[in-house]
Amino acid sequence: MEVVEKKQNGICILGLLGRLDSNTSPEFEKKIFEVIEDGTKSLIVDFESLDYISSAGLRVLLKATKELKRSDGKIVLCSMKEYIKEVFEIAGFVSLFPIVSSVGDAMEEF
Amino acid sequence: MIADRVSLELKNSLSELSALGSSLEQFGEALGISSKILFEISLSIEELFSNIISHGYTDDAVHWIKVAISHEDEMLIIRLEDDGIPFDPLKAEEPDCECPVEHRKIGNLGIHLSKKFMDDMIYERQRDRNILIVKKKITNT
Repeated sequence: MEVVEKKQNGICILGLLGRLDSNTSPEFEKKIFEVIEDGTKSLIVDFESLDYISSAGLRVLLKATKELKRSDGKIVLCSMKEYIKEVFEIAGFVSLFPIVSSVGDAMEEF
Repeated sequence: MIADRVSLELKNSLSELSALGSSLEQFGEALGISSKILFEISLSIEELFSNIISHGYTDDAVHWIKVAISHEDEMLIIRLEDDGIPFDPLKAEEPDCECPVEHRKIGNLGIHLSKKFMDDMIYERQRDRNILIVKKKITNT
């Protein structure tokens, strides 16, 4: 699991690579809360290179979006594989995040 | 040659998840299970296994969790056996997947996902052990 951070037009993009599971989600949690504490309010999480997610990964995203909402911030998710999107649907998470098909589309959500 | 059955004894530690995941993957790939179905199985087993680790034990001792992977006709069957406190995932409270983000909780979400992704789930308490058998249809329809 790897998290790649980029900044574009004042928006922070976190690209996820590999597997977001019970073992790797603490690393993602650390990273996403670092950027939130640094004052990021507009955050894109790019799922293009993510192959696996479990409820441990969903937990981090839920915690982060609750935190950002308090400061009027927002998380947009993009480029999800179809089977990963299904996990979000079953978990009822599609109503919690805008989920779009590309980073470009995600930029337009802000 | 395809093994009929794989048996593992794993410690109650999240670090065992990678061994569990790769055994499942090897077994599934040898049977020609599609990557989508294999993902759904892997996710379900991770959720059930990590649930045992997080909630099953009240001491700090090392416990062994037995996992057996087998197949029968069109079903992949995974049997989990642990000596943790009695826990029947089938009776776990369903998470509220509708409420707004401020009130959303993550509890039992993993179990909810595995129930949705697997086709059958049977729980038994035998003496001081939890036995959970989960099944997933592995043919593409």
